[in-house]
Amino acid sequence: MTGPAPAPFRNEPVLELRRATERAKLAVGLGELRLPLHVPVWIGAERRPGDEIASTDPGRPERVVALAAMATPEEAAAAVAAARGAFPRWAATPVAERAAALLRAAAWMRARRASLAALAVRECAKPWPEADADVCEAIDFLEFYARGALELQGGDGPPLLQVPGERNALRYAPRGVCAVIAPWNFPLAIPTGMTAAALATGNTVVLKPAEQAPGCGLRVVEALRAGGVPADAIALLPGEGDTGAALAAHPDVATIAFTGSGPVGLQLLRTAAAVRPGARQLTRVVAEMGGKNCVIVDSDADLDEAIPAIVESAFAYGGQKCSAVARVLVHAAQHDALVERLAGAVAGLQVGPADDFATDVPPLIERAAQQRVQRYAALAAEGGEIVSGGAARRGALPAEGWYVAPLVVSGLPPDSPVLREEIFGPLLTIEAVGDVDEACDRVDALPVALTGGLFSRNPRTVQRVIDRSPVGNLYVNRSTTGAMVGRQPFGGNRLSGTGTKAGGDDYLLHFVEPRVVTENTVRHGLVV
Amino acid sequence: MTDPPVGAPATLEPEIRRVGRELAAAFPSHRGRPLKAVDDRAMDLAAQDEELRAALFRFVDVVPACRSLDDLAAHLTGFLEQVGSRAPSLRAAMKMGHTKAGRAALGAAGAAGVRHMAHRFIVGEDPSAALAALRKLWRDGIGASVDLLGEATVTAAEADRYATRCGEALDTLAAAFAGFDAQPLLEHDAAGPVPRANLSVKVSALTPLLRPEAPERGQRDAAPRLRELLRQAQTLGAHLHIDMESLDSREAVLELVLALLAEPEFADGPSAGVVLQAYLRDSPQTLDTVLGWARRTQRAQPLTVRLVKGAYWDHEVVEARQHGWAVPVFEHKADCDANFEALTVRLLEARPLVRVAIASHNLRSVAHAIARNTALGGGPRDVEFQVLRGLGDDLGHALAASGLRVRAYCPVGDLVAGMAYLVRRLLENTANDSFLADQAHGVPLEQLLTAPQSSEPA
Repeated sequence: MTGPAPAPFRNEPVLELRRATERAKLAVGLGELRLPLHVPVWIGAERRPGDEIASTDPGRPERVVALAAMATPEEAAAAVAAARGAFPRWAATPVAERAAALLRAAAWMRARRASLAALAVRECAKPWPEADADVCEAIDFLEFYARGALELQGGDGPPLLQVPGERNALRYAPRGVCAVIAPWNFPLAIPTGMTAAALATGNTVVLKPAEQAPGCGLRVVEALRAGGVPADAIALLPGEGDTGAALAAHPDVATIAFTGSGPVGLQLLRTAAAVRPGARQLTRVVAEMGGKNCVIVDSDADLDEAIPAIVESAFAYGGQKCSAVARVLVHAAQHDALVERLAGAVAGLQVGPADDFATDVPPLIERAAQQRVQRYAALAAEGGEIVSGGAARRGALPAEGWYVAPLVVSGLPPDSPVLREEIFGPLLTIEAVGDVDEACDRVDALPVALTGGLFSRNPRTVQRVIDRSPVGNLYVNRSTTGAMVGRQPFGGNRLSGTGTKAGGDDYLLHFVEPRVVTENTVRHGLVV
Repeated sequence: MTDPPVGAPATLEPEIRRVGRELAAAFPSHRGRPLKAVDDRAMDLAAQDEELRAALFRFVDVVPACRSLDDLAAHLTGFLEQVGSRAPSLRAAMKMGHTKAGRAALGAAGAAGVRHMAHRFIVGEDPSAALAALRKLWRDGIGASVDLLGEATVTAAEADRYATRCGEALDTLAAAFAGFDAQPLLEHDAAGPVPRANLSVKVSALTPLLRPEAPERGQRDAAPRLRELLRQAQTLGAHLHIDMESLDSREAVLELVLALLAEPEFADGPSAGVVLQAYLRDSPQTLDTVLGWARRTQRAQPLTVRLVKGAYWDHEVVEARQHGWAVPVFEHKADCDANFEALTVRLLEARPLVRVAIASHNLRSVAHAIARNTALGGGPRDVEFQVLRGLGDDLGHALAASGLRVRAYCPVGDLVAGMAYLVRRLLENTANDSFLADQAHGVPLEQLLTAPQSSEPA
C-alpha cells in the first residue's frame, strides 16, 4: 500500500446554483475557456495533430470548440499495440498505486470544475446544472472505481472453502487492452467512468471519444495522465464510427466498453463474437445502449409532483439521455388532467442556448439529430394529436443552432414508430391505460428495458409494479434521470445493454478475469 | 455592522419569565371541547410511533386522490401493513379491509377523520365560506391573514387562476372586514392605521417558472400578476403579505417583492410584508438586505416583516444532504431559538423603519418579544403576534386576552388543495422537538421559559 486507505466514498457535491455566488464561478470558467482546443491522436508520448474533425457549439455552429485529428486504422492498431505493450507493467503495478493515480486524476478535475463544465456547455450544449453534474459524475467514477479496485484486488480475494492439505485462492486479474468507445451526451462522465473502471483494475485503455466531443475526451486523458497513469497505458484515439469499428475489431482488444446507440452496440457485439485471426482470448463487451423509457401514472398519483418530474425527465438536455422518459402511461381517470397540465408546463419551457442559466431545453447535438427528431415530430403529427409544441412554437426558435421545440403528443396508434423507436430528443407521448397492469403489459411488450418510472401512492401498487418491471433502473415517485454513482448503479436489461451497472459494486467484475490457484500442501503425508 | 449579543441581557430574564407565566395562565381551558382533546390524543399517539406516523401521513396525503371508499380503504390498509407494531385498533382496521362492506365502512371512517382534521386547520373552502370564522376571530380580538391553498402551479393558466382567486379574495375580505365592529388594538400602531383585510400570497403559485438557478425567470413571469394584486390591495386598503417558501426560491421572491414595492406607483401603498425565516443560518444577512432596502426606499407604509422559524426544515435538510451541501438551517432547536431572539431584537429596534410581526408558537420566543418590546418603550399595539389557525389557537386567545395584537394565519381551500398544507402542519405538530409537543408532554413551564442555550459560538 502507498499511504492510508482513502476515506469512504461520497458523491462530489454539485454546485449550489440557487446561490448567485456559485453561478458566478461557472461564468468565470466560461470566460477563461480558450477555443478551439486542438485534439491529437495521442499514443504514448507521441502527439499527431490534425484538424480533420471539428466539434462545434450546437447553439452557434460557426463556433469551433475543438479541432481533432482523425485516427487512421494504422493509428488504431498502433494504439492497441502500445496499450498491449504497457499492459504487463500496469497490471503488475500494485492496485494501491493504480488507485492513487485515479484519485489524483479526480483531484485534477476537481481543481478545474468550472472550466470542464464550461467545455461541456460549449461542445455538447449541456446546460449549466447538467454540465456541472457531468463533471461531478466523472470525479465520482474515478473515486468510486479506485476504491472498488482496492476492495476487489487489494486483499486476499473472496473466501473459498478450505480443507486440510490444500490452499485455495481466487484473485481477479486484469484482462488486457480495453477499447473504450464513448458517447457525447455525458461527454466527461461516461468516458471517464468506463476508462477508470478498466484502468483501476489493471487494464490498459484506448479511448475513442465521440466525434461530437473530442475536446472533452482530451481532458479525460489529460486528467488521467496528470494523475500518474503511464502514457502508454491510456491512448486517445479521436475519430468517427470507422475508427471505433477498427479499434473494436483488433484481435488484441480483450474488452470493449461501449455506451451509445443500439445499432452500434449490436454491431460491436457481433464483432466481438467472431474470434479474429490471431486473437488469443474472447472479447468481452460491456454495452449500454438505448431505451424507450416509460413512466406510469396511476389514478392516485400526485400530479403536483408527477408533472414537474416528468417534464424534467423528458426535456432536460432536450431528452438526450438514455434514461430520459419517452412515454407516459397514465390511468384513464387522470388522463385529461395530466394532458392539460403537462401541455401547459411544457409550453412554459424556455428553449435557448446552453450557457443561459434560464434555458430549459438546449439545442440538440447536431443537424442530423435535429432532422431525426423533426422526422418523428412529423410522424407524430400525422398519427396523433399535438397537445403542446409543434408548428406554433417552431417560429419562436433561435434562427441558428440545432434547436427543436419540445413536443407532447397523445392519441398515437399502438403501432406508431413514435411509440416504439428511440427518438433521443424532446418528444414525449401520452397514452391512457385502464389500470396499472395494462401499463405494465405495454412496458413488458418492449424489447428494451433501461429505465422506468412510477407515480403511485399505494404501497401495494408500487410493489406490484416493482415485481413486474423488467427495467434496469426503476424510479418511484421521482424523475427517471440523474442516477448517482454508488446510489443508483445504472444500466439496462433486454436489448438496452449487457446488464452491467455503471457506478455499482459489481461493475469492475466485467473488466477482470477470475483466476483460482489451488496448492497442495501435503508433503510425505504431512500437511506443511 | 455589529450584532447585538445573542439572547436577552440577564436583567430581562425575570421579566420574560413573568410574562411567560402570565401568558400560560391565560391559556383557555379545554373542558367542554372533547373533540380537540381527541385530536390531540391521536396526534400524540402518532408522534410516539414513527411507522404509524408515516402511515397516517401517507394516508392523509392520498385521501383526495382516492376514487371510492373501497379505494380509500385499500390505501389505508396498504399503509397500515407497513406498520410493524400493531395496536388492537389497527388489527381491527386491517380485518375490516377483508370484506367489501368493511372496506366501505373503513374508507368512510378514514375520510371523515381526515376531513375533521382538515377543518381544524382550514377555515373554509373559499373566502366567503370562511367569513363566519373570521368574524368570530375578530370579535375575539384576533385579526386574520388569509392564505389561499391550491394545487402546485405548473402552468401559466394555473398562475392566472391563482392570481384571480387572490383578487377575488381581496374583494371579499375587504368588503366583509369593513362591516366588522371596531377593534382599536388591531387597527392602529405607532406607524399609523393597520389594514383590516390581510391576504398572504405565494410567489410559487403566481408563476410556474421559479428556477433556483435562474431566479430572474420566475421574477419576470410573476411580476405582472403580483403588481396587479398590489394595485388592488392599494385600492381596497388591504394588506398584502408575500410568504416565503423554501430556500430554492428565496432570492427570486425577496428580490421581486422589494423591487416591486420600490416602484413609484406603490410609494403610498399598499401595506405589504415579507417573511424572515430564523431557521436559516444566513437569515441575519437577509435582514441586512431588508433593512438596507427599507432605509433607501421611501414608502408611506413601513414594510411588515413577519419573523418565523420556517416551515421547510425537513425539506432543506434532505435537499442539502442529498446534494452534499452545507445544511442551510440550524440543526439544533436551541440555535434556531437563539437566532429567533436575536432577530426579534434587531427588528424591534429597527422600528419605525419596519413593522414587526412575531409568528411563533414558542411561549419563550413570544414572552421574549413581549418583554423586549416593553423594555424598548413599545406599547402593546406596536408589535404584532401571529399564530397558525388550528395549531396556535390557544396561544392566540391567550395573547388577545392579555391585551396584545394578534393575527391568525388562516388557510382557505378545499380538501384536495389543502392536503399538502395539512400534512406539513401535522408533521410539525408531531415532531419530537417541537415546542408544542414539549408543552403537551408536560415539560415544566420554567424549563420552557429558559433562555435558549446556543451550541455555537455567537
